[in-house]
Amino acid sequence: MDITIAIFITLVGAATPILIAALGELVVEKAGVLNLGVEGMMLVGAIAGFAAQFYTGNPYLALLAGAFAGAATSMIFGFLTLSLSANQTATGLALTIFGTGFSALAGAPFSARPIELMRPLFPAELATHPMWRVLFGYSAPVYFSFFMVFAIWYFLKKTRAGLILRAVGENDLSAHSIGYSVKGVRYAAVMFGGAMAGIAGACFPLLLTPQWAERMTAGRGWIAVALVVFASWKPFRLLAGAYLFGLVMTMELYAKAGGGPLSIIPSELWAALPYLATIVVLVLISLRRDASTNAPACLGKPFLPSN
Amino acid sequence: MQFRLEKRQEPSQLMVYATPVAAVLLTMIVGAIIFSLIGYDGIGAVREIFLTPLTNSYKWQDLGIKAAPLIIIGVGLSIAYRANVWNIGAEGQYVMGGLAGTWVALATYGMTGPWILPLMILAGVVGGALYAAIPAFFKVRLNVNEILTSLMLTYASVQLIYYLIRAPWKDPMGMGFPQTRLFSEAARLPTVIPGTIVHLGVPIAILVAFVAWFIMSRSVFGYQMKVVGAAPHAARYGGFSESKTIWLAMLVSGGLAGLAGILEVAGPFQRMVPGFPTNYGFTAIIVAFLGRLNPLGVIFAGVVMAITFVGGEVAQTTIGLPNAATGIFQAMVLFFLLAGDILVRYRLRRVSSIPASGAA
Repeated sequence: MDITIAIFITLVGAATPILIAALGELVVEKAGVLNLGVEGMMLVGAIAGFAAQFYTGNPYLALLAGAFAGAATSMIFGFLTLSLSANQTATGLALTIFGTGFSALAGAPFSARPIELMRPLFPAELATHPMWRVLFGYSAPVYFSFFMVFAIWYFLKKTRAGLILRAVGENDLSAHSIGYSVKGVRYAAVMFGGAMAGIAGACFPLLLTPQWAERMTAGRGWIAVALVVFASWKPFRLLAGAYLFGLVMTMELYAKAGGGPLSIIPSELWAALPYLATIVVLVLISLRRDASTNAPACLGKPFLPSN
Repeated sequence: MQFRLEKRQEPSQLMVYATPVAAVLLTMIVGAIIFSLIGYDGIGAVREIFLTPLTNSYKWQDLGIKAAPLIIIGVGLSIAYRANVWNIGAEGQYVMGGLAGTWVALATYGMTGPWILPLMILAGVVGGALYAAIPAFFKVRLNVNEILTSLMLTYASVQLIYYLIRAPWKDPMGMGFPQTRLFSEAARLPTVIPGTIVHLGVPIAILVAFVAWFIMSRSVFGYQMKVVGAAPHAARYGGFSESKTIWLAMLVSGGLAGLAGILEVAGPFQRMVPGFPTNYGFTAIIVAFLGRLNPLGVIFAGVVMAITFVGGEVAQTTIGLPNAATGIFQAMVLFFLLAGDILVRYRLRRVSSIPASGAA
């Protein structure tokens, strides 16, 4: 019983940052922009969050710092791809290379200096019984991620602003000719995606390992990008996907801790499993007949109204 | 006074070649300013990273052996990117090439003969190409995004190294270190200039670039890659198969990454170690772009990136600049290059205060 609950709590911790980053990327892609720099923005968010927690000890400020840092980093991508119509694939990759280098440079002075993990949102009295812990035992980003699943679904489906954002992603030229600012909407979406990636990055030192480590996001940003495809650009499917991956990563942690039957398989295979699972999932999803029909029509294409 | 971007009739050839140079120069200027602002010796950093490797002749050997893998991988990627095939997993294919060659070296351990090294190199090329065949297969058959699959395979390949050198391939005399034994003499790459560390990989890299340039500019294969990349519809009319292009682009870029991997393991490393993945596969992406996806340009770009690697190490010891700074400079080069690209397709025009009508 207790071990099941412990596993579940680890699972939530592993799934939350992926979910938050993927939700941000979903909105970006819905606006027709493919930002492959999620991993880089997460790393910048991670070091910003770490530093803020280190100096202030206030995890909410740390999350905010992560969001600002991620949004600021995303504006490099926004300027290059939206204002200068640079190639989105290449710019996203450059952003990841930049974020990796920047976070390593900024993080160097913090190595081997632990911070405090973020505490659960609700008072401990609420979470005394194991069953209640499953509901009330988490810190704020977990509840934030659930709230955002619903909020983004509502925004895209039910609001006028969401409709405009989708229109920009589906047919930028029409949206432009009706008088909507394609660039403006895309800048806003990219900035939102950056802020979400930054928060997701800050979750790593705040929720998972309270020490700075270079490349501590370990490819989770790329998994988040893959999840958006897996989820066919639908927020609730993203929730399911993130928890599926959380489960794979949780099994890895338990296998490494020497947990019974799981440790028969070499730990390196467990470590490789999330990445291999991503490939399997992408392959499976592509077998479905409607696989790519849900992709925003303008995804990844530069907006060139004068042609 | 306002400026407006105006589309050029033809992409500017001058700008195609001027922007990479401008990108490097701008990186040096802006890099010096940024690093000064965050409290480092900015001018010193730029001097050590970009100039010392060139002015200090002791560093030239280092430049050669660091540029070689970057050029070999960069040439392969430039061919793939020309064809609009986004192989991002060169680092993984480099690792698999290194592992395949290591397997041959360990299987032939203690043997002698001139056939061992060629066999290792062949294994390396095949290993890299086979690893790239996975994303190629899924892309062609199921239209699965090759960016994500090739990248995920990179993460998996690193774990495969860790497993192999921890258990089955571990050096029995290695005092517990996770690494293979040192290759026997016949499995080590010879040096080409006596008394230096410049190994056979350096001339191979230059040869690869020239052969690739010749093929890309003179053969049907090269033409097919470019047409499918630039105008897929026209290519279909012309009878060029898109699937075949994807296969070729992936196998060539993967095979070359594998070649770089085996040359690296048989040359500088001479054994498989956990630190074998050195990010050459990712840096080669910058090299391919900086070289304008032209194999000869890749030689220039490979040397520039090698300069930043060597210079980064210099700056670490002389002015205490963290090694991560190298990555920032490399990313800045790519940022400026991508930003400058707009000048290839557009020109800046000064316009009067009355907005031009009918622009949309």
